[in-house]
Amino acid sequence: MSLNKKLVDMDYLLNEAPREKHFITGAQAMSEAVKRASVDMAIAYPITPQSEVMHLVGDIYAQGHIKEYYRAEEELGTMSAIAGAARGGVRLFTATSGPGLLRGLEAIVSWPGHRVPCVLGVLTRVINAPLSIQPDNIEMAYLMHSGMVMLHAENQQDTFDFTLAAFAITEKVDVYIPVSVSTEGFFVTHAKGYVEMMSEELAFTEPDPYHAPVPAMDNEVPPARIQRDAPVQKSNFMSYLIHSVWQQEIWDSNRRAMKYVYQYIDGPLEVQNPGSDVMIVASGCAAAQAREAHRYAQEEGISVGFVKVKCIRPWPKDEIREALATAKTVIVPEHNIIGWLCKEVKAAIPNSGIVVEGPRVYGGMTLPVELIMTEIYDALGMDSLVLQA
Amino acid sequence: MSKKITVGPVGYMPQSAPSMGVELSPEGQALLYGNVVSEDEAMRDAAKAMLTMQNPTIFPGPQVLWDWRDDVADKSAAILDLASEIPNCKIIPMPDYRPKYPKIDVKAEINPNHPNLTILDNKIKACIFIGVHCHYANLSLRMIRAGTDCYTIAMCAMMGHEEAMASIRDVHADDIRRFKDVLVEVRNELGIEHTPTMPPENPSLPEEDWGSLTPADYGEYRSLIMSRKGEHVADVE
Amino acid sequence: MSLKYMIPASKFKRYLPKDYVELVDYGPFGKDYADVGVKNMGTFKELVEEHPMCSGCWMAYYIKIIFAALPNPENTVTIGTAGCGRLAISQAAVPFIYGNYGDQNAMASGLTRAFRLRFPDIQKDVITIAGDGGMMDIGFSMTMHAWFRREKFTTIMLDNEVYGNTGGQESGMSIEGAVLKMSPKGKNFGKMPAMQLAITAGCVYVVKMSPTNINKSAKAIRRAIFAARNLGPTFIHVYTSCNIEYSIPTPDVFRDAKEMEKGRFAFEEFMTPEAKELFAKVESKKKREVS
Repeated sequence: MSLNKKLVDMDYLLNEAPREKHFITGAQAMSEAVKRASVDMAIAYPITPQSEVMHLVGDIYAQGHIKEYYRAEEELGTMSAIAGAARGGVRLFTATSGPGLLRGLEAIVSWPGHRVPCVLGVLTRVINAPLSIQPDNIEMAYLMHSGMVMLHAENQQDTFDFTLAAFAITEKVDVYIPVSVSTEGFFVTHAKGYVEMMSEELAFTEPDPYHAPVPAMDNEVPPARIQRDAPVQKSNFMSYLIHSVWQQEIWDSNRRAMKYVYQYIDGPLEVQNPGSDVMIVASGCAAAQAREAHRYAQEEGISVGFVKVKCIRPWPKDEIREALATAKTVIVPEHNIIGWLCKEVKAAIPNSGIVVEGPRVYGGMTLPVELIMTEIYDALGMDSLVLQA
Repeated sequence: MSKKITVGPVGYMPQSAPSMGVELSPEGQALLYGNVVSEDEAMRDAAKAMLTMQNPTIFPGPQVLWDWRDDVADKSAAILDLASEIPNCKIIPMPDYRPKYPKIDVKAEINPNHPNLTILDNKIKACIFIGVHCHYANLSLRMIRAGTDCYTIAMCAMMGHEEAMASIRDVHADDIRRFKDVLVEVRNELGIEHTPTMPPENPSLPEEDWGSLTPADYGEYRSLIMSRKGEHVADVE
Repeated sequence: MSLKYMIPASKFKRYLPKDYVELVDYGPFGKDYADVGVKNMGTFKELVEEHPMCSGCWMAYYIKIIFAALPNPENTVTIGTAGCGRLAISQAAVPFIYGNYGDQNAMASGLTRAFRLRFPDIQKDVITIAGDGGMMDIGFSMTMHAWFRREKFTTIMLDNEVYGNTGGQESGMSIEGAVLKMSPKGKNFGKMPAMQLAITAGCVYVVKMSPTNINKSAKAIRRAIFAARNLGPTFIHVYTSCNIEYSIPTPDVFRDAKEMEKGRFAFEEFMTPEAKELFAKVESKKKREVS
């Protein structure tokens, strides 16, 4: 069924189209973005807390905003079917959470190498064991070495904007690798926030499978003798160099995505109060809490800087280094036990000793602003009276 | 201006051009040795390479080899016109991207899984990639830069290639003709005399004469031959 | 018309390797099956020629039949997985997708649906070709669910009753008692009932056979493809011995296949009434055209 949408480019859609304010959940925000992205096919498989997203995407399929939708057998089947459909040249969306992401990981980590453009929603969740359905973003650590582009949304508005941007970035001819949009399960997916959205009469222009760095496997584009992707090993006078340069090409593609991060989501970082002695660096939900800590500090007359990292891959190393150039203490609050963001920040700056390892919460724990404040007081040599009172 | 990307061989494990800070040129501009320059500047340097280096070769890829789009006829004609203006120019196609069994004929084709073989065997010191899908062009260009001393030129219909010594983007038939004009101009400046000549056709191996084969030619494998010369097996039962 | 994507640009024809030009001039693309089908193998440029399979490989022989039997090679995409088969399939002049382990039927589900969206008026055949391990062990769930979902594509299982490519390990399709790697004391359960599983899961056309007869093999392949276009999933379970792992002397490979035909690979064909009706229509139409 055709809904007679007006097709527009992503610059107009994201940056110019008039918007109206809505009060919706993060899951709704993600599906509202999918609704405006001219998605051809979405493939669903349930897992809490992601399911809500693909339920809503199912609804918009039933309404005619998406052409094809089905529930697959499990995540490996889902992610493999995405890879198959991508070879056919259609625009794709799916979403998963924690253990589901890991079940689909074999297929997911092969998407970049197979040059599969698609958007993957990651609605974060604890990884077993023991089982829990609560938010914890440790699964993102597993994606960080896959080659895919990774955006991390702080709230419902980011979830909407980043998801739309992801559809544009993934199909750029010099990128053409998958883009994941992560946000915290429940904290964002099931909580409402204000989201400014453009009219649903507008939609992103349709994909051109021939404007691509690899041939679509659709019997319409040469060469006819093509294998995607051939095992590059053994005989045929091949050197292992082919695999090396192929890997380089994926990470180069990842690197090339940075200019589109600037174009569509205003760069990989948001920096408040730059040049402060104490800087808080955070992504996703932790950035929301860090933003609060920044506000508390301002109210108390303490000068604290805030850096929100919107883009985990490509990793904005230069930008981070610049933002933290004069910092004396860097606090990295996170929703996971290993501190993947903290490790990245430490590796990006020459004086990693200034980075405080935390505060971290995990297993579904919330991240009270007071935990971050305590670190700020410690860094400034103040008594943390707030928590003791 | 310092050259970020130079003619190889850069060695065993090449660093990719993007990881060395090379970025694709904006629309209307080109890349020369990894630096953003005007199209004219890149074309002149590329033309000089094709005119002065040994065994200049054009590698047309699937997007211009097959008649899949309306613009292919015009584009392929323009490529051949260009080739005719380059003294001693050869055309060696990259007809597909799969690893081919048992091996490619290095005189007849180039393959992205081991492009160095064709370059080295034919002693090609300057080449143009055109009509090759970007992913495979990037792999090839990097492997060529790693292991050969060939000057690479990318004439890309899309965004260009960081790995090439000279990269022209958004190339259509008119741009190929413009490059040809630049090349003729440079050729005249260099005082090279040349009458347009079409490149030699594909030197595919001469057809084997199956008629003269005898089972004895198969040696120890002769037991594998199911049918005798001239015999036609329609049904195994 | 998608035949264009394999016709050389006229200017470039003389610069292409002979191999590619001959594929268009003497290959089966866009031609009548009566002239370039299995009956005429050896008289036209086939889609698979050189391949790296072992000497005497029955699988390589069957793969050649698959490609010669295709009703519409210019609009066909094959999908496979790890295993010997892909070494030959990948040399065919038909696009081949090689994904991850055992994912072929999930990939085909996505691809078939994508084709139906993008080309509602063009029939594009999707065929998955994988071994017993890829289809019934590691890919089992994806194989079965594609059938349950009634995905319209053809599944061909090249059953050599062993993991050949990885060095001769027991598979779910090995017979009980077979002493193989990873079953050093002999396999302690029998062959999985692939054909019954396919019928139960909703395949509209299922064949089990040992391909000793080229025409009979081709007929089954073509029926499977025709039925998949219109009716639902189809499945061919075919015996393609591994003469290396089962130590079958090359001259005895055919004899072995004949023996299997009398044994556990005796020809069995299942079709739904709708499939039967379809075949009657398609096959009588062909006869009329020929006469």
